[in-house]
Amino acid sequence: MVASQTSSAGVNTIHVSAKEVTVAYGPVVALDGFTADIPRGIVGLLGPNGAGKSTFIKACLGLLSLDRGAISVGGFDSQAQSLLIRDRVGYMPEHDCLIQSVNAVELVSHLGMISGMISLDAMQRCHEVLDFVGIGEERYRPIKSYSTGMKQKIKLAQAIIHDPELLFLDEPTSGMDPQGREELLDLVKKMASSEKTIIVSSHILQDVERVCDYAVIIDSGRLVKSGDMRALLAGEEGVRSISVRGDAPSLQRYVKALEKLCRIIDKKDDVVGQLTLLVRGCEDGRLVFRLAAENGVQMRRFHPERLDLEEVFLRAFRGGGRDGH
Amino acid sequence: MGISPIEYHPWKGERIALNLRFYVIARSILRHKIRSAGVLVLLILGFLLAHTLYLIMFILSPHERLEPTDMSSYLGSGMFTVFAMLLAAVVTSDLISEDLASNSFVLYFARALKVRDYIMGKAVGALLVMSLLCLFPPILVAIVSMVTQTGDDYVYSLGVLCKTALIGALVTVFFVPFGLMVSCFTKRKSYAAVGTFMSFFVLAIVAGIFSQFSNAWTIVSPIDSLAILFRWFLEGKIPTYVDEVALVLIITFLMVVPAAVVYYRLTRQVIGK
Repeated sequence: MVASQTSSAGVNTIHVSAKEVTVAYGPVVALDGFTADIPRGIVGLLGPNGAGKSTFIKACLGLLSLDRGAISVGGFDSQAQSLLIRDRVGYMPEHDCLIQSVNAVELVSHLGMISGMISLDAMQRCHEVLDFVGIGEERYRPIKSYSTGMKQKIKLAQAIIHDPELLFLDEPTSGMDPQGREELLDLVKKMASSEKTIIVSSHILQDVERVCDYAVIIDSGRLVKSGDMRALLAGEEGVRSISVRGDAPSLQRYVKALEKLCRIIDKKDDVVGQLTLLVRGCEDGRLVFRLAAENGVQMRRFHPERLDLEEVFLRAFRGGGRDGH
Repeated sequence: MGISPIEYHPWKGERIALNLRFYVIARSILRHKIRSAGVLVLLILGFLLAHTLYLIMFILSPHERLEPTDMSSYLGSGMFTVFAMLLAAVVTSDLISEDLASNSFVLYFARALKVRDYIMGKAVGALLVMSLLCLFPPILVAIVSMVTQTGDDYVYSLGVLCKTALIGALVTVFFVPFGLMVSCFTKRKSYAAVGTFMSFFVLAIVAGIFSQFSNAWTIVSPIDSLAILFRWFLEGKIPTYVDEVALVLIITFLMVVPAAVVYYRLTRQVIGK
């Protein structure tokens, strides 16, 4: 069994741990020495198509044999104890996998029973989870008549019917309209409030940014970057964003003066007469404000750099900081 | 539709043991199949044509005890085997092909279910349906014959009844692995049904052609090989042109190899490497 990390309080903070995992499909290496510790909470698994996200999920479930390395899920080894893992895990696959000829109640309750629920429990719980995901009376219609959004909800319902501790959602909002995406992400948030670990694999960065507490960025089967979402979005240490407004000569003078005080690493004209600068080394805010006053420009914003996930993602792929350094 | 205001509630029930979960699949198949019009028609027709005639005959004709020759001619008449073949083709046709067509294997195997248990669940479900035509009616016919016998050698009759039950069990099992094998190679259940029946039919034709040159080829036909096996088992007689080892081998081959192919195919399908 792979050892798992525990916090000082004795609570296991790492739910999934991968160590040097390599999985190859013939000559194609899907995971190449992938190492990551995934904590509890809502975790985003990010990466472009073909990065190895789905392979990693299947490897966690023990559906793939590893060529090298080990994966621990909730303290269980994915190769030797895959049944114990799968009994505690829910999986919402990416692709269309629902049996078309049956209705949602039949399918979801049947899968609940295969998860070990007795018939009566499975039926009661099936209606409960279908209510939760927002499938109404249409639950009695054959699945082939459902829209993409409804099918995604059924896939989610079958994944949670047995109340798993850990949930893998593989591209959960794929093919959904904006309203459907909102609904599904809200469901994910609601579920997370019941102490579940939810791993959301997606290439839609806004979705991940909206719901996840932690992100793991993967590319070509390797870990590119991982960390707490707030820390990832916080930007680089010591980098600040300054927005100033004024006429062109004043702005020019201000920039020249500022260059003597700190290093300007990015400069952007937002609108006419407004400039946004990214600077490193301006620890004393009073000097920045004084320079603005002396050069006749109006200070609009001065704060530590904040990123969006897209920028984090792009920087991670450039392999360094803002300029790739 | 708006977001449901219903909150997520944890579930705290008990789960059944891992090794019993195949039974859920088996039960679901039995439930679906006995509601299917095609299966019902075959069960009724099969019962009327393969069993009822002999049932009436055993009731009407005076007999001292349940004779193995009577059971041998009843079970080896061909009608029984042909209906078993037809029913197996219809019952097994969609068992794997439907999951193949909808890519739904992942829904099963993302749960605590082994490939072995999945196949066992499918097979047991099919066997339960098959037993409605292949196991219980021959036992019923044998029991009726025992009840209406004029003599008092019930121990002998009971022995024949037990042999009849074993033959019924063999026929119940015999066609299912092959049907599952064909079903795991196509996404269309109609192809699977026709494929299963035609495979046995082609074997019968091949046996018919080659038996012109040597009677030993008869055992290639599942209908004939089963009829010979019934006679051998019930009466202890086997035609001189039949090699016992070859007969047992071919019957075992037709059951074991398809089962192994299904397992291999699904393992490859699910694991993908």
